[in-house]
Amino acid sequence: MTHESAGTRGVSLGSIHLEKTTDGNGQERQSAPSEPILEVRNLTKKFGTKLVLDNVSLSIEKGKTTVVIGPSGCGKTVLIKHFIVLQRPTQGQVYFQGQRVDDLPERQLNQIRTHFGYLFQEGALFDSMTIAENIMFPIRHHAKIRDWRQVDEVVKMKLAMVGLDGFQNYFPARLSGGQRKRAALARAIALNPEVILYDEPTTGLDPIRSDIISELIVKLAKELGVTSVVVTHDMKSAYKVANRIIMLHNGKIVADGDADYIRNHPHPVVQQFINGQVSEDDLAVLRMSGAVAAAQFSPKDFEL
Amino acid sequence: MIAALGAKAVEDVVNAGRFGRFAWRSVTTSVRGCTRKSTFPLVWTQMFIIGVHSVPVIMITGAFVGMTLAVQAYDQLAGMGLEEHLGVLINISVVKELGPVLAAVMLAGRIGGALTAELGTMNVTEQIDAVRSMGTDPIRYLVAPRLLACLLLTPVLTIFADLMGVVGGALVSFLQFGINSRAYWTFSASAVAFWDVSVGITKAFFFGGAIAIISCFKGFSCKEGAHGVGQACTEAFVASFISILALDFALAVIFKTIYHIFWPIKSIVT
Repeated sequence: MTHESAGTRGVSLGSIHLEKTTDGNGQERQSAPSEPILEVRNLTKKFGTKLVLDNVSLSIEKGKTTVVIGPSGCGKTVLIKHFIVLQRPTQGQVYFQGQRVDDLPERQLNQIRTHFGYLFQEGALFDSMTIAENIMFPIRHHAKIRDWRQVDEVVKMKLAMVGLDGFQNYFPARLSGGQRKRAALARAIALNPEVILYDEPTTGLDPIRSDIISELIVKLAKELGVTSVVVTHDMKSAYKVANRIIMLHNGKIVADGDADYIRNHPHPVVQQFINGQVSEDDLAVLRMSGAVAAAQFSPKDFEL
Repeated sequence: MIAALGAKAVEDVVNAGRFGRFAWRSVTTSVRGCTRKSTFPLVWTQMFIIGVHSVPVIMITGAFVGMTLAVQAYDQLAGMGLEEHLGVLINISVVKELGPVLAAVMLAGRIGGALTAELGTMNVTEQIDAVRSMGTDPIRYLVAPRLLACLLLTPVLTIFADLMGVVGGALVSFLQFGINSRAYWTFSASAVAFWDVSVGITKAFFFGGAIAIISCFKGFSCKEGAHGVGQACTEAFVASFISILALDFALAVIFKTIYHIFWPIKSIVT
């Protein structure tokens, strides 16, 4: 099931994301932009002297699924951690529903963060708690509970949404990788968030489990009407879930548009990434360096 | 070389600043946490983990301290014909100095290591970020209960260590050296005052706070990987150990000054 609308092309102009749609005659028409729910302006992030994000500006539209792709270490995870201010920018601003959030103190941010669900790369389930207790965690901290049976019902419902009803009393260590991610997803949607951030949701899973997670992302976007931001380098999953795909390379956005736009993007880095091909130059270096004969040895070589 | 030295100095100052900020937030959050009902179950759980499981090792530590002191001090006092005063030396040393310090060192190894390893693992597996992402302050949820449990229980555990030190010292004195028990206890009771016991327990309160804050900080700032967690545990123990000794010295000076202010005549007489 593909989630993108055929023939659309997205162009990011500063803080506004305009959506251009091709009509039947092949003419581009410009539709009204959706309301941005998240926005970063001139975002720069450095760790020591290492520049991870370089003056990135983008806005995330409400109710849409935006996928951020890019090679490992290009700053994808750092970027989505800025959306929820788990990282503070070195320079630039982060806005949520028009309000600047990157300069807020932690106490105020805690309120803002209840509007988000975050699926961590490895799930980040609390291993000392059962799955039910993990899902109850945010509810317990942000809701006044009078009837615990209602909470149990909510837990059951959230687990049913990700196909894990009946696993309430399991500890995370007893679940498989895919089940852990689904349980973490159930926890991420516990507070009915408006935005769900997915950090590499299919990494480390076999193709079938990856497809289940992709289907869940589409299902949650559809049924809950949430805004989703997915960080991935799994192109199959990206094409399946995305309304819009952004490619990051060396801390900068190199491509931004819908699936067709990315597929046909002329930038060689984009083509190499989506086709999973190493560049000719890198390949030449790889083939030339380190002759096999020189790298082989026997224990006798070290004897005096 | 000068540049490297400068960079190291800057890094150390930055780390000291981070630690100061973390310690301040931990203390203020813990104080606020005392008024919240939701904190109590978390503190209770930590008290069970920190306190109940530490009782045997703390009691063994205390007993051996008292017994060793008796063996070491007997010959000197017996040479002067003062063996019946052995209890004074043992009990003062145990309740005021060795009991709190050695109990704290034992707790730094047992509890401090466990706290750092647990929080360090949570840090590298993004569980602390997960707490933050769900709108919960990790200092309030993870640090404050551990700090409160350590503050409350280190003095209690020190009392256990003191008690076993006193009993251990007395048993060696009576059974091995044949000292008259009545004289032993009479001299001890006249020399060991409530002040001495209070000094030891107050010290333990500060030691407990130092162990909890240092261990939690090291867990929160732990680097990635198994090596990172191991290194954080080692650093936590070394830093806790040094801070216990430094605090012991500072508190000894402070309590001595306070004592001289309030009981100047008695101190001159004794």
